[in-house]
Amino acid sequence: MRKSTNFIIFWIVFFVQNISTAQNCNVFLYQKDTLQYEACLIAENAYQYYQYSREYQEILDKAIEKCPHFSYAYRNKSTAYLKSGDFITWKYLIDKAVEYDFRENIGYRGWCKFQFFRDYQGAIDDIESLEAVSKGNIGYSAGGQYHLKVAKALCYNQLGDIHKAITIMEEYIADTTLQVSVFDHLHLGVMYLETGEYNKAITQLNLQSTQNDLAENQYYLALCHQKMGNDSFFLQHISKAKEMYLRNQKMVFHYTEPIDRVYLKEIESAMDVQKDDDK
Amino acid sequence: MPLTRNMRKIYLFLISIIIMIQSCQQHSVPKNSKYLSMVGDIAHNPKLDDPNFTLCDEKNTKQYHNLNEEMQYKGEKYALDNIFATQFKTSEEAKDSGMIRIRFIVNCKGQTGRFRLISSGYDYKEKQFNNAITDQLMTITKSLKGWKILTDNRVPKDYYQYLIFKITDGQIKEILP
Repeated sequence: MRKSTNFIIFWIVFFVQNISTAQNCNVFLYQKDTLQYEACLIAENAYQYYQYSREYQEILDKAIEKCPHFSYAYRNKSTAYLKSGDFITWKYLIDKAVEYDFRENIGYRGWCKFQFFRDYQGAIDDIESLEAVSKGNIGYSAGGQYHLKVAKALCYNQLGDIHKAITIMEEYIADTTLQVSVFDHLHLGVMYLETGEYNKAITQLNLQSTQNDLAENQYYLALCHQKMGNDSFFLQHISKAKEMYLRNQKMVFHYTEPIDRVYLKEIESAMDVQKDDDK
Repeated sequence: MPLTRNMRKIYLFLISIIIMIQSCQQHSVPKNSKYLSMVGDIAHNPKLDDPNFTLCDEKNTKQYHNLNEEMQYKGEKYALDNIFATQFKTSEEAKDSGMIRIRFIVNCKGQTGRFRLISSGYDYKEKQFNNAITDQLMTITKSLKGWKILTDNRVPKDYYQYLIFKITDGQIKEILP
């Protein structure tokens, strides 16, 4: 039951996050914040333009001119700089957004630090700052593929604290109020593989297979079986990994490359090593 | 009522004028604007750029993520990482840390040009790196030959690509995106 609802909720979250790039200006009117309401109406004119464009940036500048603490305009201005890799301008703009609306932007900044700049400590600091002021669910990444707790776990793992990462992941997956997302079982499986807990890894990777089977998933299953000396299972999974990879059934992120992504060369090298061992 | 030949000509002429006007509106930058046409645009600079590097469509250069979800290099990022791992040499004098971005254009023929570099510390504040680091990164980046030709509706396009190098104590720790 949980599995089937997971995907529905994931897509709802994804949809809502996508349409929420446009803000409902009436929120400010309801709060009797006339300045932000007027800035919001100006900002609405920007959405007809591409976010990289001069027009988009200039309209949002006008919104900021109207209301210098209109965080939403800073955040939206920052996006093109983020996607073009200009970390200096991006950070200046997103810091302004965080300064003027901490709760709304701190988790997003943390996610961007992780996804675009692999700033693991910076991402952890931001996500934990959000947790400190949040009573409930801290929410998902921009795009909706990751819960911010999972992002935090991946950051701890990249910084070398794999046990903390596993603890966060286990608590997250056990929490029935939170939805397991498209890569969560894969990441936890890889963490178990790294700590030598192969049976636990296989359990997680099999869960991933039933939910969202990927070349990466098959590759790591193959590695688990190789470590356990199960050659026939290794061959079965590594062959499937290559087959799926060539069919493009693999981890893909928009803009950047995801953690635990596997390349074709790595799959082929694993196959070659096994062949050499068999000689 | 069927259109006469002359009326058709007039319609075609008017449509052409409208398209031309819209095209100009999309790409011309007013003199008083502090922005380029698009964030991150790189104009040709004769002092810096190879005069032989040309674009198919100067006013319609895409971003790499407009044409594919992630960057496209022959042998994937695995190959690109290996090139830097084998060619980049650490220097005793250059122990800087931070981030360096090199942005450039891959043209419709898969050639590269208009390389520009920015750099910061890990605090995201602008910072100059030792030339022993930046010169090497620039040289290796300029030598890369595996960028794929990306298309839009099967038409090869020029596109912006970037590489971010995370440097710790003068060593490459990660390459993005």
